[in-house]
Amino acid sequence: MAPKHPSQFFRQLTRRQWLKGSTAALSGLALSSCGWTLADVGSNPGETGATDQLYIYTWAGYTDDKLLERFYQETGIRAIADVFDSNEAMLARLQASGGGGYSIIYPSDYMVQQMMELGLLTELDKSRIKGLEQLFGNFQDPIYDPGNRYSVPVSWGTTGLIYHRSKFPEPPQDWEFIWDNRQKLSKRMTLLNDVREVMGASLRMLGYSYNSVNPEEIEQAYERLMEIKGYIASFDSDAWRTQILAGDLLLAMCYSSDANEVFEENEDLAYVVPESGSSVWTDTLAIPSTAPNPEGAYAWINFLLQPDVSAQICERLSFATPNQEAFKILPEEVQNNATLFPSASTLEKCEGLAPLGDEVSEIYDRYWTQLTSS
Amino acid sequence: MNSSIFNQLEKVGFNILKSANIQKKIEGFSLLAPAGIWLILLLLLPTLVIFELSLVPGIRPGDIVNPSGIDNYLRVFEPINLVVVKRSLWFAFGSTFICLLLGFPVAYWIAQIAPKPWRNLLVLGFVLPLWTSSLLRTYAWITILRPTGVLNSFLTNFGLPSLEILNSPAAVFVGMAYSYLPYMVLILYASLEKLDRQLLEASADLGANPMATFWKVTVPQTLPGITAGSLLVFITGLGDFVDPELLGGASSMTVSRLIYNQFLGASRNWGFGSALSMVLILGVSVAIALFIKYGDNSTIQS
Repeated sequence: MAPKHPSQFFRQLTRRQWLKGSTAALSGLALSSCGWTLADVGSNPGETGATDQLYIYTWAGYTDDKLLERFYQETGIRAIADVFDSNEAMLARLQASGGGGYSIIYPSDYMVQQMMELGLLTELDKSRIKGLEQLFGNFQDPIYDPGNRYSVPVSWGTTGLIYHRSKFPEPPQDWEFIWDNRQKLSKRMTLLNDVREVMGASLRMLGYSYNSVNPEEIEQAYERLMEIKGYIASFDSDAWRTQILAGDLLLAMCYSSDANEVFEENEDLAYVVPESGSSVWTDTLAIPSTAPNPEGAYAWINFLLQPDVSAQICERLSFATPNQEAFKILPEEVQNNATLFPSASTLEKCEGLAPLGDEVSEIYDRYWTQLTSS
Repeated sequence: MNSSIFNQLEKVGFNILKSANIQKKIEGFSLLAPAGIWLILLLLLPTLVIFELSLVPGIRPGDIVNPSGIDNYLRVFEPINLVVVKRSLWFAFGSTFICLLLGFPVAYWIAQIAPKPWRNLLVLGFVLPLWTSSLLRTYAWITILRPTGVLNSFLTNFGLPSLEILNSPAAVFVGMAYSYLPYMVLILYASLEKLDRQLLEASADLGANPMATFWKVTVPQTLPGITAGSLLVFITGLGDFVDPELLGGASSMTVSRLIYNQFLGASRNWGFGSALSMVLILGVSVAIALFIKYGDNSTIQS
């Protein structure tokens, strides 16, 4: 019997090996089989990663080098911060990338609830968190997350309008100002790139709730927004800062913390919470269920709960602290800053955003797509 | 005896031939394999996954993938989405036209009129902007076009009225034309370089005016280049994300931005996003098919 030609043998072997390898690779993709689950983040336990690194996914302007450096000094953990500009974008990114390697995220109130329901958040181990009792009473047991089981409030504020004082003899009082002055504001104003805030403002102007689930009301709000669509420069949650400072914008819809931040650079700017009411929001710290470094995440939460850290970032990064002890050590002029800490009467007019459920969310989304696509 | 030697020789020859055949096959395979596997794993399979997702109506992350209909494709034809498709086509056509208009004279000058030793350097100079990030170049345009930007302070200095360009379709055209002009010039240059000048002279000798010479001699000769350049710009422009996103403002939703919104924006509808992607892939494929049909044939003829 003639022995097999070596080259033939070699070829068969490699082909078999290659097939084996590639089937293994393909089964990971689970291509042909029906019924695989798309981007199933919730059920994947996170892989444990390096404990000396902490990836943070946060709003623009919520961290700076000083803060990250101090965290490194205290804990020896290098924190790396990425930024998002809307809750929805954050959720989408997290789902599209299987958690994205982040150990700390900053979802807002209604998003905490939504992510909780999707199983994307880790239930917090309270024994590892120090200082929760320092939070103001209304942050101890918020509606979106009773008992703060999945999230720790880190900042709060309102949504309103920032504008150049010198350009408007009669300053804006209400959302209606945008409609009344659209000719003057043409291509000189931006609205937030956020479906809930923009639709909500229009709803509120019409006298409805920010959280309306009535399709007719939502449609009316959309119709009103279409009236000013052509006059809006862009839907944008971040870039308006440089544009309004440069004088390219006269007015922008924005969050109070961001408004307060740009005040320092231009005296002419002012912020107003519209009379017919607006939203009051809470941004929180949460640990995704996929967090590679939960240890580090708890360290970050405890770090930010320290009154002096919280007070410092309140002053330096300008966001209102929900921490009573931190509030106490703030300078008086910051305590009296009406942009950061609005009066009780202002807050009375504001609503928190509540999750709407899939069906209503789809209605909002449909109108939002029409608004931004037309 | 003789015949057996011949037999053996024949056998040896046959074996050599056979192993040469095998060798050729292996050679072919090893040349094709790296790129082939790359394309299958990173282009073909993902496209199939996108196609599968496009058949699941309204699928979001966390849902079960169960292909069940073409609802997503029907949604593409809703009026509001057709507006978006039309706008994308308009941006792509418009920027192609602008690039052709601006690129042809430049390429003609470099290929035919500029001194020969300088030509390569000139082409290089024209392609130089491509060495920087396209995102950076688009941000530069924001600085130029914004209401109190470079362009307007220049205009007002000379007592001219300022222009409102940023956050309008005009800004998108400016950005896209700027981004793609180098490609157009490069391809047109390659085509114009081969232009037969004797034919131009012959045309002039026979009494054609420069206009007629241009349309009847120059353009037909460079038609393959014009087609190739236009299609390349058109295809790239159709999928452009950065320029409409950063320069177009509130009324510049394009197909690629809409796709982005389905995956990473507020909508989170991966099914519809996949259907839109498949439509875009189809559109680009048609453009490429046209290119192969018309671009190549005329090359052979010329």
